[in-house]
Amino acid sequence: MKKLIIIISLIFIGTSCTKVYEGQNVDPNNPTEVNAETLLKGIQLANISVQASHIQRITGMWMNQYKGVILLYQGLGNYSISGEESNGTWQFVYQSIAKQASIIREKLPTNRSYSGISKIIEANALGTAAAIYGDVPFSERANNNFPVPKFDKQLDVYAGVQTLLDEAIADLTPVSASAVIANDIFFAGKSTTWIKVAYTLKARYYMETREYQKAYDAAKLGISATTLSWKFNPPALVADGDFNLLNTFIDQRGGYMSTTGSWLNDVLLKSGQAGNRNNAKTNEDARLKYYKITGTSANTELGVARKDAPMPLVTYEENLLILAEAGLRVVSFTEGLTQLNKLRGVLRTNLGLPAMPPTGGTILYTDYVAADFNPGGIENPGTLTPDKALMKEIVEERYVSLYGTIIPFNDARRLRKSDNDVNVPIPFTTSTATQHPERVIYAQNEINANPNVPNPVPNIYVKTQVNQ
Amino acid sequence: MSLKSYQTMVSGCHQFGAVRQLFSKRTKLFMNMLCAALLAVCLQVNANGLDGPGNLPLKNASLKEISLSPPVEIKGVVKDENGNPLAGVSVTVRGTKTGTQTNASGEYSLDVPNSKTVLVFSFVGYEQVEMTVGNRSQVSINMKQASAEMEAVVVSVLGFQQRADKLGSSNSRINATDVLSSGETGLLQGMAGKASGVSITRSTGDPGAGSNIRIRGANTITGSSEPLVIVDGIPISNTEIHGNGSSSVGTGVVQQSRLNDINPNDIESIQILKGASAAALWGSRAANGVLVITTKKGKAGKLKITYTSTYSFDEINRKHPLQKNYGQGAAGRYSATASTSWGDKIADRAGGDDVTTGAAYFLGYITGKKYATLASGSASNPHGGKNSTANYVDQNFDGIFGKGHYWQNAVSLSGGNDNSRFFLSLENLNQQGIIRDNSDYIRNSVRLNSDHSLGKYIKFSNKAAYINISSDRIQNNSNTAGLYLGLLRTSPDFDNTDYIGSYFDANGVEFRNRHRSYRRYRGDNVQPIYNNPYWTIFRQNATSKVDRFLVSSELSSNPIPWLELILRAGIDANYDKRIYFFPVGSAGERSPGSYRNEKISEVEKNLDLIGKASKNITSDLRGTFILGGNINDRQREILYAEAGNFLDDITLQNFVLSADANTHVINSIRHVSSNRGYSTLGLEFKDQLFVNLTGALEAASTIPKSFFYPSIDGAWQFSKIPALQNSKFLDFGKIRASWGKVGIQPLPYNSRTTYETAIYNAYDDGLALTNFGGGYRLDNAKGNDDLNPEIKTEWEVGADLRFWRNKIGLTLSYYQNKVKDILLNVSLPPSSGFTSQYTNAASLENRGFEADLKYEIFKKKDWNVQLFGNFNTNKNTVTSLSGTGTVDLTTQSVSSRAVEGYPLGVLWGPRALRNAKGGFALDANGFPQLDNEQGVVGDPNPDWRGGAGISASYKGFDFNILFETFQGGDISQGTKSVLYNFGTHADVGNEISLTEPLKNSAGVTFPAGTVVRGNVGNFGAGNVLLDESWYTTLGGGLGSTSIREFFVEDASWTRLREVSLGYTLKTPGFKNATKLSSVRFSITGRNLAIWTGIVGFDPETNQSGVNNGFGTEYFTNPSTRSWLFTLNVNF
Repeated sequence: MKKLIIIISLIFIGTSCTKVYEGQNVDPNNPTEVNAETLLKGIQLANISVQASHIQRITGMWMNQYKGVILLYQGLGNYSISGEESNGTWQFVYQSIAKQASIIREKLPTNRSYSGISKIIEANALGTAAAIYGDVPFSERANNNFPVPKFDKQLDVYAGVQTLLDEAIADLTPVSASAVIANDIFFAGKSTTWIKVAYTLKARYYMETREYQKAYDAAKLGISATTLSWKFNPPALVADGDFNLLNTFIDQRGGYMSTTGSWLNDVLLKSGQAGNRNNAKTNEDARLKYYKITGTSANTELGVARKDAPMPLVTYEENLLILAEAGLRVVSFTEGLTQLNKLRGVLRTNLGLPAMPPTGGTILYTDYVAADFNPGGIENPGTLTPDKALMKEIVEERYVSLYGTIIPFNDARRLRKSDNDVNVPIPFTTSTATQHPERVIYAQNEINANPNVPNPVPNIYVKTQVNQ
Repeated sequence: MSLKSYQTMVSGCHQFGAVRQLFSKRTKLFMNMLCAALLAVCLQVNANGLDGPGNLPLKNASLKEISLSPPVEIKGVVKDENGNPLAGVSVTVRGTKTGTQTNASGEYSLDVPNSKTVLVFSFVGYEQVEMTVGNRSQVSINMKQASAEMEAVVVSVLGFQQRADKLGSSNSRINATDVLSSGETGLLQGMAGKASGVSITRSTGDPGAGSNIRIRGANTITGSSEPLVIVDGIPISNTEIHGNGSSSVGTGVVQQSRLNDINPNDIESIQILKGASAAALWGSRAANGVLVITTKKGKAGKLKITYTSTYSFDEINRKHPLQKNYGQGAAGRYSATASTSWGDKIADRAGGDDVTTGAAYFLGYITGKKYATLASGSASNPHGGKNSTANYVDQNFDGIFGKGHYWQNAVSLSGGNDNSRFFLSLENLNQQGIIRDNSDYIRNSVRLNSDHSLGKYIKFSNKAAYINISSDRIQNNSNTAGLYLGLLRTSPDFDNTDYIGSYFDANGVEFRNRHRSYRRYRGDNVQPIYNNPYWTIFRQNATSKVDRFLVSSELSSNPIPWLELILRAGIDANYDKRIYFFPVGSAGERSPGSYRNEKISEVEKNLDLIGKASKNITSDLRGTFILGGNINDRQREILYAEAGNFLDDITLQNFVLSADANTHVINSIRHVSSNRGYSTLGLEFKDQLFVNLTGALEAASTIPKSFFYPSIDGAWQFSKIPALQNSKFLDFGKIRASWGKVGIQPLPYNSRTTYETAIYNAYDDGLALTNFGGGYRLDNAKGNDDLNPEIKTEWEVGADLRFWRNKIGLTLSYYQNKVKDILLNVSLPPSSGFTSQYTNAASLENRGFEADLKYEIFKKKDWNVQLFGNFNTNKNTVTSLSGTGTVDLTTQSVSSRAVEGYPLGVLWGPRALRNAKGGFALDANGFPQLDNEQGVVGDPNPDWRGGAGISASYKGFDFNILFETFQGGDISQGTKSVLYNFGTHADVGNEISLTEPLKNSAGVTFPAGTVVRGNVGNFGAGNVLLDESWYTTLGGGLGSTSIREFFVEDASWTRLREVSLGYTLKTPGFKNATKLSSVRFSITGRNLAIWTGIVGFDPETNQSGVNNGFGTEYFTNPSTRSWLFTLNVNF
């Protein structure tokens, strides 16, 4: 009896003890510490998604370069969009890129390559966020001291992005061009290439803020050859997860989106259509074929949606077209024409691709001469001044060449404000529309959790600060 | 009890004090009370000087008489109503401790003081009998089984039997026979409609599919709402583990509930402890209520054999109506590759064979037919190459769904003697679902329960079961390789029969085993876009093989009559081996082939040591004191491997079919341990007033500190006051009240932020880090090292009443609970660098009323008719989410969410834009517009639920009928919305002649007299034409681009849950002739009729399976109704 009571008492006392479980609640399935070098690849992949996935496709449909055919994409193409569509991209910008980049720089304070590369990618992501959303968190982003970051003005964000790029250039300049970073899937850590990319990005953002002289100056130091373009070259080795994003999307969402029915495909590049780009010096046949997306069958796509087709992020073509437009604006007609012809030179060689794409087609991009832009010239059927005619061609070339990026969306809005006479006359995708979108809706997840999101949440027709 | 042992006990209390320092101040008071109670018992015991049996100092009035007369030996036999001997009946002398028990033959012998002695015969489940000895030497009686209302026995959370009439907390008991009579193969579904406050929602009608069980509304948000299940004193796993192989929740296949593993034939009783006070002893796992299941025990006596065989026919109970008038295509023109069926009018076609072109074709393996290119329609010829006027709607459907059936055979043997008893049971269940292939569920189980008396003071019992389940499931829900999605989207003019064949390209090159679907009618591509439903059922597999061991052993000892010591240990070990196989050519990302192999093991170990002391403290006051300790340990390990990109079109389910680079492995381990000390003090005053105090102190590996869970309940049998004792109207009346605190443990491993590998997927175009040589990302979920359990505090009042000689029994309860510190992944602004943090953030409350009624309409010699019913209402409100906007419980475009100020689970999705007056803000054409901001579009919580039925018997016949109703909850009809968009739903297949000019949503005006496909609608600005332009944009579809609000409807239903008729043969003549003790035949209908406004599916289905989210449906596999035939033989 005594013993029993002792035993019972001991159980009661001996149990409900927390000490025995110390350490048991440490996650056995996920590491709590990793080497910061392993974070680089993730931010690179996340940035591909930011630049070339869902949001790019949506803006591409709004630009009438793609056509939303059924279900969600049909609605999105017809300017019907909710904040849910931004959730993935927004998370990648801040959580998968900005946060991880800050850890890289915090944990590898003396590694200039990691610091510089992470800043360029972060600048690209945040620059895109500013371009499509307007005011976004920047100064208080991804920082444990700011649980609910404030939204900085769009122009302040662009300024911050320029600073970030300047810092990246400063970080990378002393790094030997032969230093190798295995975790860098784009350029294996080659500092000189990354610096050029940084300059082209600077030029891109100066274009968006209409600082054309600065854009021209930066582009002069930017990407100088097609081989130095920043592209995602999909390995396409595994069943999914490393393919061209259009290809994966078509595989999983067959029929949602196509180029058939888009203005770019059906009108602008197609010979015989009123207002198409073909002329005595130009044949867009090969480009039309390469740009084509059937959208129903991933494994029969041969052009931009082929499983291993490269996806442009920041390219030599863009750099040339910045030099062309900004050069025309701040230097001379001749500079604009020279840079445009350089671009045409790139197109003459396999459309700027390493080899002729399997879609084939005729290529003809003879250099233009100044007379082509005189009234009555082949690029000036009306009575525009040669400057305007050249500007119109450069702007249209940007619309076509920068297919697959968000730049056409940025250009359309930028020019609508100040140079709408040379803007590309993009038709509405639906007969009921009366205005073009001026932004993408903030991510619903941010709206839900951050009281600093502008209220009311601006709809897609509200211009961002830079375009007001 | 010696002074020394008393001192030990007191010092135990002091040591207790050391532990007390861990507690908060509030809990100290309670512990002091417990200590005081413990001391009171000790003192009382000491004063009585009890030291063992046979040495009883008796203090009552009969003392004198005993001393005057010599003892007399009384013998007798105790039998039940049917004349079978009852073993273990307690026979005591009233007012004393003298007593004995009957042996296996029901015999007893007892020395009694004199002829005036009154013997008390009592046995759990039987009405107590008192008998004055008189001058007899033989006292034999027959005991009657207690009716459910009278002296109902319930099993407490610790496994002790208690009289329901003495409890201050409410509970529901479901009889094993009621579960069996339901005709459900799963225990869980079998409980539906049988107890108030218990809601059971099945996910689909698939064999073995799990069900969601919820007691008294929701108690948590993202955590599990499943009750704790205790079988024979041991907690067992009742999780539905979704795993890695079946996509996310709401897609893939329906998983099983582990509770359904148990053979319903083995069950003696199911006790549902609804309130917090009854469950508090289980601390942080009891907030969702507790299901206490007791399995059968062997009975002493001659060997009893029972054989039961049930055969069931099942069929689909609701079908989505589909249109048969218009073909595949869009804008009124035929297209053989279109996703939609907005094509040409089938009746207008030329008839005869289709006109094909080109050299490429598909050769169907099933019929041998060739399918070459069909030209699309044009303005001049909307039919293109399509001439056939056939429609295949019914053929396509009937090819997939047929009659399902199951055959269940169960045998049990029971027997033993005074010292050892056993119950052995075997079961085989073989169920083939209504889907014609690869939808089955086979369960084999064996159970051996035995109990032994080892000498006078020690009993040993052992309950062990082995269960083996194998099952094949069909992909469903939001899933391009699912069944319904492909089937219901198929155009009416497309014949699915040739789902497999060879594609020959224009050069004659053959591609074998190609998948032909309505969007790939020539199989010219390995990707079918959506599965042909035949492919889903014939070519894909999703098997699950479960091995489960349930063992519960108990050693109990009665060293002295008032003290019982129990050592109870148990293990629940289950192993689930799942395989998902998608051959090359399955839809979606699995088109290069996908093989997924997942092994899930769960082991739960449990140990309890319990001491229970019961004693009369004074003649009017009886006390029961329980002190116990528990150690519990749960381990789960999942090993998952998948292979994709098959090297060839192989169907061998083995990793040889892929290159190493295309395989992927996930390993996940979960280990949670806890320990508890617990104590109960129960006091009974004058057999009329009952009070229970309990407390449990718990520590768990998931919580950094200990937590204390107290409860108190009280009951007063006011019918025992003299004024009411002889009431002709009221036979029994009790009021009760209880209060208690219970918890829900945090999930493990949330204390630190970890790193993860990631897939960057903005919209179905993921990039996987692992495919680029690997890397990490700091998790988007921020760690939290200060997690506490969720705490539910509940109070409840109620009454149990019986009237008119127990003809009417009524139980009423009202409860209110508040759950605070609810754990959830609070959304953080992604711009902060994290998207969520698991934290104690939310609170909610429930208020509800429950009533259970039984009315014995009449009871004659041959006749017995009883009416029974239950009713409950629960009002739930999410009171705080700590600033988090809303919390998704499901992920579809209409999701079930937690929204502050609304009931948990409200439906959230795309709405129509409203104007200032609250009406639709219409566009220029008179059509609603999409609101850019989503919001609450419905509430799936019912206003009330109820069940009612009649059970009747006449001589050998018995009849039972049960209706169940669910009133006032909404459901989001995802299937209907999408079928509108695809143009296959019957609602959008109408042809109308306009009587007035009408505009469609694109702004086109159609003059009066036009014959168009569509419907006339009116959104408030006059009649408009609802046609393709509306249904394929805002008026139908998936995602957030259609006004999904229009597809949220009232899902109220009333169903004939079950109806059965049985006949039992047990006449003496029959017994003599056959040597059988009884034979029963019965026929049961399950789910035979549903009355609901919802068209096309059973509104009881739930897309998200066993999950807190509910009220959504999207290509969910259909439910069934059944006819069952049962034969039951007792040898």
